[in-house]
Amino acid sequence: MSSLVKCPHCGLRPREEFTIRGEVATPRPSAGADEATWFDHVYLRDNPRGEHREYWHHSSGCRRWLVLTRNTLTHETSDVVDASTLKTEGAQ
Amino acid sequence: MRDYPLENRSAFSPDVAVGTGAAINLAPVPGGFVIHVLGDAKSDEAALKQVLAKIAPELGADVRKSAPNQWFWVGDAAVYSDRLTELQAGLVNQFALADQTHGRVRMRLSGASSRTVLAKGTMVDLSADLFAIGQSAMTQIGHIGAMITRIEDDSFELIVLRSFAASLWDELHHMAAEFR
Repeated sequence: MSSLVKCPHCGLRPREEFTIRGEVATPRPSAGADEATWFDHVYLRDNPRGEHREYWHHSSGCRRWLVLTRNTLTHETSDVVDASTLKTEGAQ
Repeated sequence: MRDYPLENRSAFSPDVAVGTGAAINLAPVPGGFVIHVLGDAKSDEAALKQVLAKIAPELGADVRKSAPNQWFWVGDAAVYSDRLTELQAGLVNQFALADQTHGRVRMRLSGASSRTVLAKGTMVDLSADLFAIGQSAMTQIGHIGAMITRIEDDSFELIVLRSFAASLWDELHHMAAEFR
Protein backbone atom coordinates (compact mmCIF):
# COMPACT_ATOMS: atom_id res chain seq x y z
CA MET A 1 0.00 0.00 0.00
CA SER A 2 1.38 3.35 -0.90
CA SER A 3 1.77 6.16 1.59
CA LEU A 4 -0.97 8.72 1.71
CA VAL A 5 -0.39 12.45 1.85
CA LYS A 6 -3.06 14.84 3.04
CA CYS A 7 -3.16 17.58 0.42
CA PRO A 8 -4.78 20.68 1.95
CA HIS A 9 -6.83 21.10 -1.25
CA CYS A 10 -7.62 17.54 -2.35
CA GLY A 11 -7.60 15.44 0.82
CA LEU A 12 -5.83 12.10 1.19
CA ARG A 13 -3.93 11.16 -1.95
CA PRO A 14 -1.29 8.55 -2.77
CA ARG A 15 2.36 9.54 -2.88
CA GLU A 16 2.46 8.67 -6.60
CA GLU A 17 0.44 11.79 -7.42
CA PHE A 18 3.21 14.05 -6.12
CA THR A 19 6.59 15.20 -7.39
CA ILE A 20 9.14 15.82 -4.67
CA ARG A 21 11.40 18.82 -5.05
CA GLY A 22 13.51 18.57 -1.89
CA GLU A 23 14.13 20.50 1.26
CA VAL A 24 12.82 23.98 1.87
CA ALA A 25 16.09 25.87 1.68
CA THR A 26 17.03 28.63 4.05
CA PRO A 27 16.31 32.14 2.73
CA ARG A 28 18.51 33.20 -0.17
CA PRO A 29 21.70 34.94 1.04
CA SER A 30 22.28 38.55 0.07
CA ALA A 31 24.04 39.11 -3.26
CA GLY A 32 27.18 40.31 -1.51
CA ALA A 33 27.47 37.36 0.86
CA ASP A 34 30.81 35.56 0.87
CA GLU A 35 31.52 32.49 -1.22
CA ALA A 36 31.23 30.01 1.63
CA THR A 37 27.69 31.22 2.43
CA TRP A 38 26.64 30.88 -1.20
CA PHE A 39 28.30 27.49 -1.54
CA ASP A 40 26.38 26.29 1.49
CA HIS A 41 23.09 27.66 0.15
CA VAL A 42 23.46 26.22 -3.36
CA TYR A 43 25.17 22.87 -2.78
CA LEU A 44 25.00 21.69 0.81
CA ARG A 45 21.90 19.92 2.06
CA ASP A 46 21.11 18.78 5.57
CA ASN A 47 20.21 15.18 6.11
CA PRO A 48 18.32 15.46 9.35
CA ARG A 49 17.12 12.61 11.50
CA GLY A 50 13.59 13.59 12.41
CA GLU A 51 11.45 16.48 11.20
CA HIS A 52 12.23 17.83 7.75
CA ARG A 53 10.44 20.39 5.61
CA GLU A 54 10.18 19.61 1.91
CA TYR A 55 8.60 21.06 -1.23
CA TRP A 56 6.12 18.69 -2.83
CA HIS A 57 4.20 19.39 -6.02
CA HIS A 58 0.76 17.84 -6.37
CA SER A 59 1.43 17.29 -10.06
CA SER A 60 -1.44 14.89 -10.72
CA GLY A 61 -4.01 16.67 -8.59
CA CYS A 62 -4.45 20.37 -7.95
CA ARG A 63 -0.97 21.18 -9.31
CA ARG A 64 -0.18 23.35 -6.28
CA TRP A 65 3.21 23.51 -4.57
CA LEU A 66 2.99 22.29 -0.99
CA VAL A 67 5.29 22.37 1.99
CA LEU A 68 5.29 19.09 3.80
CA THR A 69 6.74 18.46 7.23
CA ARG A 70 7.97 14.88 7.18
CA ASN A 71 9.69 12.85 9.84
CA THR A 72 12.59 11.12 8.08
CA LEU A 73 12.58 8.40 10.71
CA THR A 74 8.94 7.39 10.75
CA HIS A 75 7.78 8.92 7.41
CA GLU A 76 4.91 10.53 9.31
CA THR A 77 3.78 13.76 7.70
CA SER A 78 2.72 16.04 10.51
CA ASP A 79 1.82 19.15 8.53
CA VAL A 80 1.05 19.90 4.89
CA VAL A 81 0.37 23.46 3.80
CA ASP A 82 0.15 25.35 0.53
CA ALA A 83 3.55 26.83 -0.35
CA SER A 84 2.01 30.28 -0.77
CA THR A 85 1.75 30.42 3.03
CA LEU A 86 5.56 30.69 3.14
CA LYS A 87 5.24 34.22 1.78
CA THR A 88 3.29 35.35 4.84
CA GLU A 89 5.71 33.43 7.03
CA GLY A 90 8.67 35.31 5.50
CA ALA A 91 6.95 38.65 6.05
CA GLN A 92 6.84 38.13 9.79
CA MET B 1 -7.94 37.17 -32.91
CA ARG B 2 -7.43 33.64 -34.08
CA ASP B 3 -6.27 33.23 -37.67
CA TYR B 4 -6.43 29.45 -37.53
CA PRO B 5 -9.31 28.49 -35.24
CA LEU B 6 -9.12 24.89 -34.13
CA GLU B 7 -11.84 22.65 -35.34
CA ASN B 8 -13.61 20.91 -32.47
CA ARG B 9 -13.94 17.36 -33.64
CA SER B 10 -14.69 14.35 -31.45
CA ALA B 11 -11.68 12.17 -30.74
CA PHE B 12 -13.91 9.12 -31.22
CA SER B 13 -15.14 7.76 -34.51
CA PRO B 14 -18.94 7.92 -34.80
CA ASP B 15 -19.22 4.12 -34.87
CA VAL B 16 -17.26 3.46 -31.68
CA ALA B 17 -18.50 0.25 -30.04
CA VAL B 18 -20.42 0.98 -26.85
CA GLY B 19 -21.28 -1.78 -24.42
CA THR B 20 -24.89 -2.42 -23.50
CA GLY B 21 -24.48 -4.64 -20.47
CA ALA B 22 -25.94 -3.70 -17.10
CA ALA B 23 -22.73 -4.34 -15.18
CA ILE B 24 -20.40 -2.01 -17.02
CA ASN B 25 -20.52 0.42 -19.94
CA LEU B 26 -17.97 2.81 -21.35
CA ALA B 27 -19.16 5.47 -23.76
CA PRO B 28 -17.69 8.65 -25.25
CA VAL B 29 -19.48 11.93 -24.59
CA PRO B 30 -19.56 13.50 -28.03
CA GLY B 31 -19.78 17.24 -28.65
CA GLY B 32 -20.20 19.75 -25.88
CA PHE B 33 -17.54 21.98 -24.41
CA VAL B 34 -14.87 21.98 -21.73
CA ILE B 35 -13.71 25.42 -20.65
CA HIS B 36 -11.00 25.98 -18.06
CA VAL B 37 -12.00 28.79 -15.71
CA LEU B 38 -9.24 30.54 -13.78
CA GLY B 39 -10.28 32.77 -10.93
CA ASP B 40 -8.26 35.21 -8.86
CA ALA B 41 -7.27 34.41 -5.28
CA LYS B 42 -10.56 35.64 -3.88
CA SER B 43 -12.90 33.94 -6.33
CA ASP B 44 -15.37 31.34 -5.17
CA GLU B 45 -17.57 28.75 -6.79
CA ALA B 46 -20.91 30.23 -5.77
CA ALA B 47 -20.03 33.58 -7.36
CA LEU B 48 -18.81 31.83 -10.51
CA LYS B 49 -22.03 29.80 -10.86
CA GLN B 50 -24.08 32.91 -10.36
CA VAL B 51 -22.27 34.91 -13.03
CA LEU B 52 -22.34 31.97 -15.49
CA ALA B 53 -26.08 31.51 -14.99
CA LYS B 54 -26.51 35.20 -15.78
CA ILE B 55 -24.35 35.45 -18.91
CA ALA B 56 -25.03 31.99 -20.37
CA PRO B 57 -28.20 30.44 -18.96
CA GLU B 58 -28.45 28.14 -22.02
CA LEU B 59 -25.07 26.50 -21.28
CA GLY B 60 -25.77 25.48 -17.70
CA ALA B 61 -23.38 26.12 -14.85
CA ASP B 62 -21.82 22.68 -14.42
CA VAL B 63 -18.44 23.64 -12.95
CA ARG B 64 -16.02 21.05 -11.59
CA LYS B 65 -13.28 22.18 -9.27
CA SER B 66 -9.82 21.17 -10.49
CA ALA B 67 -7.66 23.22 -8.10
CA PRO B 68 -8.02 26.19 -5.76
CA ASN B 69 -9.67 28.95 -7.82
CA GLN B 70 -9.77 26.78 -10.93
CA TRP B 71 -12.63 24.88 -12.49
CA PHE B 72 -13.66 23.02 -15.60
CA TRP B 73 -16.90 24.38 -16.96
CA VAL B 74 -18.56 21.54 -18.84
CA GLY B 75 -21.70 21.34 -20.95
CA ASP B 76 -23.31 19.53 -23.86
CA ALA B 77 -23.97 22.47 -26.19
CA ALA B 78 -21.50 23.55 -28.85
CA VAL B 79 -19.62 26.79 -28.05
CA TYR B 80 -17.90 28.47 -30.99
CA SER B 81 -15.07 30.96 -30.69
CA ASP B 82 -17.28 34.04 -31.25
CA ARG B 83 -19.53 32.93 -28.42
CA LEU B 84 -16.48 32.35 -26.22
CA THR B 85 -15.29 35.91 -26.85
CA GLU B 86 -18.76 37.13 -25.88
CA LEU B 87 -18.70 35.06 -22.69
CA GLN B 88 -15.30 36.35 -21.68
CA ALA B 89 -16.49 39.91 -22.26
CA GLY B 90 -19.52 39.27 -20.07
CA LEU B 91 -17.47 37.91 -17.19
CA VAL B 92 -16.19 40.07 -14.42
CA ASN B 93 -12.41 40.56 -14.32
CA GLN B 94 -12.21 38.01 -11.55
CA PHE B 95 -12.46 35.07 -13.98
CA ALA B 96 -10.62 34.15 -17.18
CA LEU B 97 -11.65 31.46 -19.66
CA ALA B 98 -9.43 29.10 -21.63
CA ASP B 99 -11.19 26.85 -24.13
CA GLN B 100 -10.12 23.22 -23.67
CA THR B 101 -12.78 21.60 -25.83
CA HIS B 102 -10.24 20.56 -28.45
CA GLY B 103 -7.81 19.26 -25.83
CA ARG B 104 -9.85 17.39 -23.25
CA VAL B 105 -12.07 14.42 -23.93
CA ARG B 106 -15.08 13.31 -21.92
CA MET B 107 -16.14 9.70 -21.47
CA ARG B 108 -18.64 8.04 -19.23
CA LEU B 109 -18.24 4.84 -17.25
CA SER B 110 -21.49 3.49 -15.91
CA GLY B 111 -23.07 0.34 -14.56
CA ALA B 112 -23.23 -1.50 -11.26
CA SER B 113 -19.50 -2.30 -11.33
CA SER B 114 -18.25 1.13 -12.40
CA ARG B 115 -16.95 2.03 -8.94
CA THR B 116 -15.10 -1.27 -8.60
CA VAL B 117 -13.49 -0.74 -11.99
CA LEU B 118 -12.34 2.79 -11.14
CA ALA B 119 -11.02 1.62 -7.78
CA LYS B 120 -8.49 -0.48 -9.67
CA GLY B 121 -6.94 2.68 -11.07
CA THR B 122 -7.41 5.47 -8.57
CA MET B 123 -6.88 5.78 -4.83
CA VAL B 124 -9.57 8.41 -4.37
CA ASP B 125 -12.30 6.97 -2.15
CA LEU B 126 -15.38 6.84 -4.37
CA SER B 127 -17.84 5.55 -1.77
CA ALA B 128 -21.11 7.46 -1.92
CA ASP B 129 -20.82 9.10 1.49
CA LEU B 130 -17.42 10.64 0.66
CA PHE B 131 -17.86 11.24 -3.05
CA ALA B 132 -21.41 12.41 -3.64
CA ILE B 133 -23.18 12.99 -6.94
CA GLY B 134 -21.75 16.10 -8.59
CA GLN B 135 -18.43 15.87 -6.78
CA SER B 136 -15.17 15.84 -8.76
CA ALA B 137 -11.57 14.88 -8.15
CA MET B 138 -8.50 15.56 -10.23
CA THR B 139 -6.41 12.41 -9.90
CA GLN B 140 -4.69 9.59 -11.76
CA ILE B 141 -6.20 6.47 -13.24
CA GLY B 142 -3.21 4.19 -13.46
CA HIS B 143 -0.58 6.66 -14.59
CA ILE B 144 -2.93 8.83 -16.61
CA GLY B 145 -4.09 12.12 -15.14
CA ALA B 146 -7.87 12.40 -15.26
CA MET B 147 -10.76 14.14 -13.59
CA ILE B 148 -13.45 11.91 -12.14
CA THR B 149 -16.95 13.26 -11.55
CA ARG B 150 -19.82 11.30 -10.09
CA ILE B 151 -22.86 11.82 -12.33
CA GLU B 152 -25.18 9.27 -10.77
CA ASP B 153 -24.93 6.59 -8.11
CA ASP B 154 -23.15 4.24 -10.48
CA SER B 155 -22.11 6.51 -13.30
CA PHE B 156 -18.90 8.52 -13.56
CA GLU B 157 -17.70 11.01 -16.11
CA LEU B 158 -13.98 11.15 -16.86
CA ILE B 159 -12.15 14.09 -18.42
CA VAL B 160 -8.77 13.24 -19.86
CA LEU B 161 -6.26 15.00 -22.11
CA ARG B 162 -7.04 14.13 -25.71
CA SER B 163 -3.62 12.63 -26.31
CA PHE B 164 -4.23 10.14 -23.49
CA ALA B 165 -7.84 9.33 -24.39
CA ALA B 166 -7.07 6.18 -26.37
CA SER B 167 -4.74 4.84 -23.65
CA LEU B 168 -7.32 5.44 -20.95
CA TRP B 169 -10.06 3.93 -23.10
CA ASP B 170 -7.99 0.76 -23.62
CA GLU B 171 -6.99 0.61 -19.98
CA LEU B 172 -10.60 0.92 -18.81
CA HIS B 173 -11.58 -1.90 -21.16
CA HIS B 174 -8.94 -4.12 -19.57
CA MET B 175 -10.03 -3.11 -16.09
CA ALA B 176 -13.67 -3.82 -16.93
CA ALA B 177 -13.07 -7.12 -18.73
CA GLU B 178 -14.06 -9.30 -15.78
CA PHE B 179 -17.52 -7.70 -15.60
CA ARG B 180 -18.41 -8.22 -19.23
